[in-house]
Amino acid sequence: MSIQEKIDNYKKTLSLFPNPQEKYQYLIEQAKFNDDFPENLKIDEFKVNGCQSQVWLVPEEQNNKLYFKSDSDALIAKGLVTLISTIYSGETANDIVNSEADLMEEFELGVILSPARRNGAFSMLKKIKDFASGLTD
Amino acid sequence: MNVSEIKKDFPILKREVNGKPLTYLDSGATSQKPNLVIDAMSDIYKENNANVHRGTYVLSAETTQKYENVRNIFKDFINANSSDEIIFTKGCTEGFNFLANSLTKNLESGDEIILSEIEHHANLIPWQMAAKKHNLKINFVKINKNFNLDMSHFDSLLSKKTKIVSIVGESNISGMLTEIKNMSELIKSKSNAYFIVDGAQLVPHRKVDVQKLGIDFLCVSGHKMLGPTGIGVVWGKKEILESMEPVYGGGDMIEEVFYESATWAPIPHKFEAGTPPYVEAIGLGFAVEYLNNLTMEAVEEHSNSLRDYAKSKLENVEGLNIIHSTSDIAGCTFAMSIDGVHSSDMSIMLDTHGVAVRSGHHCVQPFHRKLELDSTFRATGYIYNDERDFDILASAIEDCVGLLK
Repeated sequence: MSIQEKIDNYKKTLSLFPNPQEKYQYLIEQAKFNDDFPENLKIDEFKVNGCQSQVWLVPEEQNNKLYFKSDSDALIAKGLVTLISTIYSGETANDIVNSEADLMEEFELGVILSPARRNGAFSMLKKIKDFASGLTD
Repeated sequence: MNVSEIKKDFPILKREVNGKPLTYLDSGATSQKPNLVIDAMSDIYKENNANVHRGTYVLSAETTQKYENVRNIFKDFINANSSDEIIFTKGCTEGFNFLANSLTKNLESGDEIILSEIEHHANLIPWQMAAKKHNLKINFVKINKNFNLDMSHFDSLLSKKTKIVSIVGESNISGMLTEIKNMSELIKSKSNAYFIVDGAQLVPHRKVDVQKLGIDFLCVSGHKMLGPTGIGVVWGKKEILESMEPVYGGGDMIEEVFYESATWAPIPHKFEAGTPPYVEAIGLGFAVEYLNNLTMEAVEEHSNSLRDYAKSKLENVEGLNIIHSTSDIAGCTFAMSIDGVHSSDMSIMLDTHGVAVRSGHHCVQPFHRKLELDSTFRATGYIYNDERDFDILASAIEDCVGLLK
């Protein structure tokens, strides 16, 4: 599934929840499934700056594709970073760098996806793209 | 005080958030604005606007007169001696930066500054910067287990080496009300230090008489007291202000300028470089008028009774840790945490109930670290909040905990 297809899937799922509270509950559920982040990787190198809570994103390269592990001490942020990690995992560095999908636009997630540059989601995405661009020519 | 009537003066309180009526409990971060202030500012732009202190034409004269009159309004509001003692700043933070830069110019290496452990970063970082530059020592008064200042510790820190004491008047975390008068007497008996009070939270909620309190400076934020953003006040004693050097140069602050040097205008203009935020200042004047109409005595009484109600209500919420002064009287400000629930999750979920609270460290990071908390969520009540707002908060917290645990 391409990055855009994965985004479209999440978009479809999120649209099933008409009000923000249910959307956040969905994120919280996603967060609860994501429970295998190694404690020893919670170090500054993997921390995403600009979030109200602590968020970690760890990239891994396997067979020319990137995979991301993620965690946060807040549930909603963890749900969000889980979504973002899933969207970009299993893709090549080039595809990640070239993806122009605007998650802020795609997901109607209210206050947690405000397009401010210092916003958490923006920083999560930037961390993923920065890592990918370090691997492209 | 008739809160339901007051609510009608604040147009924003009519709006809905996430399909629920707005319950605004973040006045500690910024207050909402009454029509009086909004309209006054819009009227200036429609009818009077011209730069102040410059034009020799009607518009500029009118704007200048309205702007300068705010000094008189504010002088009376805090019972200053003279309107020359009212310096406009762009906010409390700028006020502290100005004082920290100007008051430390003639200090000697090893001189001491006293702050408290619960200061807002605005009353911490400017002093850290000045201390580094002039090699000064900063001492911090401890906060005791009741979330109040440890006065005997304060006493023990004071000496002839103390040159500046700068302390929060009402805490934006614990609602603690500082014993300002006691402190000023202690300071005078043991040092020649200047006493600065951070009035950001104090002045919006309580009658402040700078002469009775025996302080030397007061920093005020306009937007936390119904006024617009971008305007604040530093009040200082005239004789001290006259002896101080300006920090910002240019524009309004000059007397005569030569290629090599310049002389300064008298106070207060000596400290106000560039075109001042005169429309914001005029807006602040109307905010003060609004509070004067309610009377600060009534505002204070409302804050006290709302605090008592909110405290008992929140204390009954299971699992809620409340960081709040245990004194009989304190500000209506409650920093809260729940074990196992992140404060940002809580504030996002409360927003779905239309409840606006702040989460984070509220610009008081070292104190959060001391409590071993990354962050808290905070509710503050003001003149347009009533018991019902705290009922909604308490039941919304209970509802959200269920989803987040």
